[in-house]
Amino acid sequence: MVRQVDLGLNEGYNFMHARGEDEFPYYVGVRSLADLATKQDRVCVLNILGGESSTVTPVSHVYSGGNIVCGTMPGRSGAVMKTAAGDIPVYNNVLEALKAGHKFNVAVVYVPPSGVKDAVIEAVRVNPDLRKVIILTEKVKVKHARIIRQYCQWRGVDVFGANCLGVADAHNHVRLGGALGGSAPEESLVPGSVAIFSNSGNFTTTIATYLLTAGWGSTVSLSSGKDVYIHFAAPEFTYAMHNDSRTKAAVMYIEPGGYYEHGLNFKKPVVACVVGRWKARLTRACGHAGAIAGSGDDALAKEKWFQEKFEVKGIFTPDAPICSAKGAVVTNIAHIPMALTAVMMMNGIKPDFAPRGNLSPKCWFHNGQGLALPAELAAPVVEAMEPYSQQIADLAKQVGTTFPRQSMKDCSGASRMDGKTQVSQLHGVSVLDSSTRTFEENLVQSLIREYANANGVAMANVALNAFVNQSGTVLLAAADAAREAGSSPNAVLGAAVALVGPKEVDGAREAVQALIDLFGLSGLRDPAQADFDFSEQIKQVQSTPALQEILVADKKGGKRGRNMLTALEQRGVKSVFIDFLKGLTDRQGSVRDSVVLAAITTHLAWSPFMNRRLSVNTLVVMPWHFRVFSAMVGATVPMDGQDKKSFRGVDNGDLMGSWSFTETAFAALFGRKPSEEELFSFSVLMGLLITNGPGTISAQGAKGAVSADGPEAPGRVQVNKAYMGFLTHTGFAHGGNGFEAIAFLMERFQESGLNDPGDPDHGLDLEAMAMQYAKEYKGYKSKAKSSGELEYLKIPCVNHPVFKGKDVNFDPREVFVDELFKKRGSYNIFQDFYHKLVHALFKAGVSSNVYCVNVDAVIAVILLKMLWRPYSCGEVSGDALERAAFTTFLFGRMIGSAAEIDDHTNRGRNMDTRTAASLCSHAG
Amino acid sequence: MQITGMKWGAKLLKYVDFPTAEVLGAEAQPEEIQALIDKYGGVLVKPVFKGGIGKKGKAGLVGKATDVRTALKEKERLYFVEHRHGNSVAKSEGVTYESFIKADYEVYVSLTDSTTFRAPTLTITHHGGVDIEELPPEKIVTVPFDPLTGLKGFVISNALQKLGAPNEIVSPLVQNLTKLWDLFHNYGMTTLELNPIRVTRDANGRLTPIACDFKCAFDGDDRNSKRLFLPEDLENTDLSDYELEVNQLRTYQGQSDVFVINPAGSVTAMTFGGGANALVTELLGDRATISSDFGGNPPYAKMKEISRITYKHWLPQTNVLFIIGGKANNTDIYETFRAMGDALREYFAEKGPTPLYVVVGRGGPNLIRGMGYLRDIMDSLGIPYAMFGFDSAMSEVINHAMAADEWMANGGRQMVAQKLGIR
Repeated sequence: MVRQVDLGLNEGYNFMHARGEDEFPYYVGVRSLADLATKQDRVCVLNILGGESSTVTPVSHVYSGGNIVCGTMPGRSGAVMKTAAGDIPVYNNVLEALKAGHKFNVAVVYVPPSGVKDAVIEAVRVNPDLRKVIILTEKVKVKHARIIRQYCQWRGVDVFGANCLGVADAHNHVRLGGALGGSAPEESLVPGSVAIFSNSGNFTTTIATYLLTAGWGSTVSLSSGKDVYIHFAAPEFTYAMHNDSRTKAAVMYIEPGGYYEHGLNFKKPVVACVVGRWKARLTRACGHAGAIAGSGDDALAKEKWFQEKFEVKGIFTPDAPICSAKGAVVTNIAHIPMALTAVMMMNGIKPDFAPRGNLSPKCWFHNGQGLALPAELAAPVVEAMEPYSQQIADLAKQVGTTFPRQSMKDCSGASRMDGKTQVSQLHGVSVLDSSTRTFEENLVQSLIREYANANGVAMANVALNAFVNQSGTVLLAAADAAREAGSSPNAVLGAAVALVGPKEVDGAREAVQALIDLFGLSGLRDPAQADFDFSEQIKQVQSTPALQEILVADKKGGKRGRNMLTALEQRGVKSVFIDFLKGLTDRQGSVRDSVVLAAITTHLAWSPFMNRRLSVNTLVVMPWHFRVFSAMVGATVPMDGQDKKSFRGVDNGDLMGSWSFTETAFAALFGRKPSEEELFSFSVLMGLLITNGPGTISAQGAKGAVSADGPEAPGRVQVNKAYMGFLTHTGFAHGGNGFEAIAFLMERFQESGLNDPGDPDHGLDLEAMAMQYAKEYKGYKSKAKSSGELEYLKIPCVNHPVFKGKDVNFDPREVFVDELFKKRGSYNIFQDFYHKLVHALFKAGVSSNVYCVNVDAVIAVILLKMLWRPYSCGEVSGDALERAAFTTFLFGRMIGSAAEIDDHTNRGRNMDTRTAASLCSHAG
Repeated sequence: MQITGMKWGAKLLKYVDFPTAEVLGAEAQPEEIQALIDKYGGVLVKPVFKGGIGKKGKAGLVGKATDVRTALKEKERLYFVEHRHGNSVAKSEGVTYESFIKADYEVYVSLTDSTTFRAPTLTITHHGGVDIEELPPEKIVTVPFDPLTGLKGFVISNALQKLGAPNEIVSPLVQNLTKLWDLFHNYGMTTLELNPIRVTRDANGRLTPIACDFKCAFDGDDRNSKRLFLPEDLENTDLSDYELEVNQLRTYQGQSDVFVINPAGSVTAMTFGGGANALVTELLGDRATISSDFGGNPPYAKMKEISRITYKHWLPQTNVLFIIGGKANNTDIYETFRAMGDALREYFAEKGPTPLYVVVGRGGPNLIRGMGYLRDIMDSLGIPYAMFGFDSAMSEVINHAMAADEWMANGGRQMVAQKLGIR
């Protein structure tokens, strides 16, 4: 087996190697590509149960008709690898496998790099039948590659790789080694006449797939790897290709680095794809270890080598199809099929079969998110080839999105606070921007993650106002009872919300689900689309009793439902869902209020739902949130403020037909319709209060309540109870503190004779008032300090732990609001006073710099401005003022809580807000 | 990692007792320089470059001095000198003072792995001291040898004989050059080049080969170079923060090869597979922030961490996030897409949204599940995207990414920012 060679310059090198093909000065055992991967080959996989082998080996085994006789894995003797073609036994080592009687001529190596050399030597040493070693492992040391090379040369073994994907023969239906053709080899490895040699494992398969588009199948696909040592390289492949009668041509995919392709002499047509011109700029290998050129072996040089062999003077492109009967050079793999066809035509050889598909760009998924994209980016979505089109169709049947679940403790997908600016965001909208939106706009945005248009807002106002009147309900009785018992506003509203239980909204939830089922796959994207044909959906309801039960009431039922439809008409809204309900009603009877509510919320959520920004669950529970919103505002008004027909003296129909929910909330709190200025101020106030991120106590309460119900079964999460969690997690310190500033300001202005806080010509000397107080405070503070009283009274709403330390400090949120009102020409004496006060405190020596007026002051000054007149006239008590301030906070924070509840339900895990015992401490 | 010059070369050669010129660092005091001049008659002042920078002599970057004043003047000239060789531009960080070596002969020697012979190969000539490429072929000998036995004296002796080298240098070279195999093979080198080796005659008339310049490259996959205790920053000289951070995740399975192409690029390509890497790098050119290869079926956690690091470094400036690979053989598309998507979602959650256009081209196991998952995340974040099947020409998908980059650069970025509510 060992032969002597002439002593020449190879003294000491090729002194001995096994006898192989005479063509080579070293050992090469494979004469023809037909012998590369045959039905007779029997395989032992080293490290068979490792991660990569576990997924690849079973597919190879099945594809090749069960050619893997055994595997090794140290310490796992006796185990088996399960495959659809039978179990593969596992041994501790190759020797054990041989002793067990297994015979194999191929070793496939999945061993980690440090062990590859020894594994190969051992396999070769103990098994004289071994003829091929295929090394999949990446990052084998060059040092080890040297040894592997020489040892296998000596023993007469062909080595493939390392860092390759092995070989496959489409005719023989055999693949040895790695995952050529992936998990479905038949898709790419279609028998034909072209042999593929590739430095890239992935491109071996990709090229095979590309060739199909020009009607070319493959004989052998060989992934050579692209380490410094390529043992079975381009010369060996070329020789074996010439000797394979099935192979009429070859495609070679070549990267820079190494002289493997330098002296090739082709006897069959070849298309060479040489890539990596740009890579010449890299100073280190990235990707393939060997793909870093030295001198004279970069991509440009290799292009020239092939051009000389093919006697062509350039690169083949579709625009300049330069080729000869000998071959063509391309630099883009997409040009391979066309180049091959052109070369083969010159040789009078036609493709193996009709083209399968083509290489034009096929966009399978596209969403411009409503942006005006240029024509070249507005890629039309095309139907994918089978089986992918079926998989996409199945995917399309899933409407909405599904959020991956994770622990949502102290984490939110809805809100976040920027630690630097202290400005929080909800669904990416800063509360500063939220403050320029109305209450109802923000409520809807909290759930659908974007702002509704005017049409949607009109619908939301109908839905929210429709259920605000709680006259005669147990809900109101509970709220009043809590009120009379002296409970704080949050406890009062909590009592009310407890009664908006799941049964209250079952009908609406079922209706939403029915609408999703009916319209989800209908192609409806814009729910305001006037000409959408829903006749099919009508027919479906008419022929389905269960749907009729959910969506259609008898003639008697649904006075509020009818009124809601009337109000929607009054507001001139356009909605496919409302029209659909009307269509049903015209034919079959009346409509329930819960169904109209469901239609409205579904309309609001439809576009983001279709854009997969919302889950089905969000849509289904949206009416529940709406009912809670209405109940919170409704329960704010005691029994004597509402009756069957009116709320705060406003007719129910008028509320639905023309009032905004912001106006209703204002009226609920203050007993009258707001002026335009008051409406704006009230909206600003609630917008600013929406959220302070997931860490705030109110958010923690809401999230904890969701977590405790178990969001992994979202249907079990009680939305109203989650709001109770939010409400119980507010209080006099968290939410009620705005009143401290009100009390402070009232004290300052009580005796001032102030009539209109919005009049800049108020006639008061604010600077003097501020200085007088600053001096008083300074005296109080030093007295308190000298008496050792550490808990002395702090001036509310000045200074901030973040916005401090400069000569003059500003809270950007307060600045934003101040400028917002100034732009409207709106004056607020209390805010003016606060600004003067911080300067006075500095001048009086209370502070070492000018404190900022913080954002909490904004809440106090806006509220006090609205209530100054009734308060100074004695119409409103101090207690009522405090309740109003607290309740305003609750309304604003209800928006943020809605978002947290929905987010946690969608993303959270059961009981994920608990703290591990190890992280808890005991204060003994 | 590559090393040029004698600053470190002399230290490495000492490991195998190969004689070298005497070398002083930039910190050498005038009296030390004077002593060196006194002993050898003069010094060469050479700039110290990190990495593989050659042809210093040709570029006039080697100073000669026979007095301290000139030596210090040359130090001043060369200390921070810039040198361009091929595509590499390097800035010197210091100088060395290397002793003059009087020579009767100059020898060139290199050891490397030849892809022609598929074996370690010795290249040798006694017409050294010049650019090896400039010599006619008959004046050089290239001879492969058996790595199982190593570089043996007879390999060297036969080669010198073939060259017709003077007899008197054969024995000194045979005795000393064999030592290089130990350094080359056992410390993980892929190239070792000494040019010139000046063969100098001592008072007794004995010839000794003295290495006067040094160049080597190490195998990035071989930890044996660590045994040389070279300073860390020597290896990290050309690594960016991003590359360093990603390299922490390197395992034998690869899956995390990155190279910064253009720190001001606007397309960040998450590339899978060496082939895709070559094509994408080629076509994107300077638009690309990075060249990457994450192929090899990276597990979810690793892919997510790579994505997190990549997004952290590149997303703020990125117009197009480009996820591209061929039809994967083994990489689980669902797992990798899930990881990249989740990392993107978390990036948006943590850092706020950034204007992006996402282009995807991929094939492989669990493809549609993966694309579906990514699509849902993109939709929930409000990012525009296009995903192409693996039966689209990869170059066409790259063209789409480049068109998206153009659009983003010309107003699209602002439109996306507005859509995402970025102030």
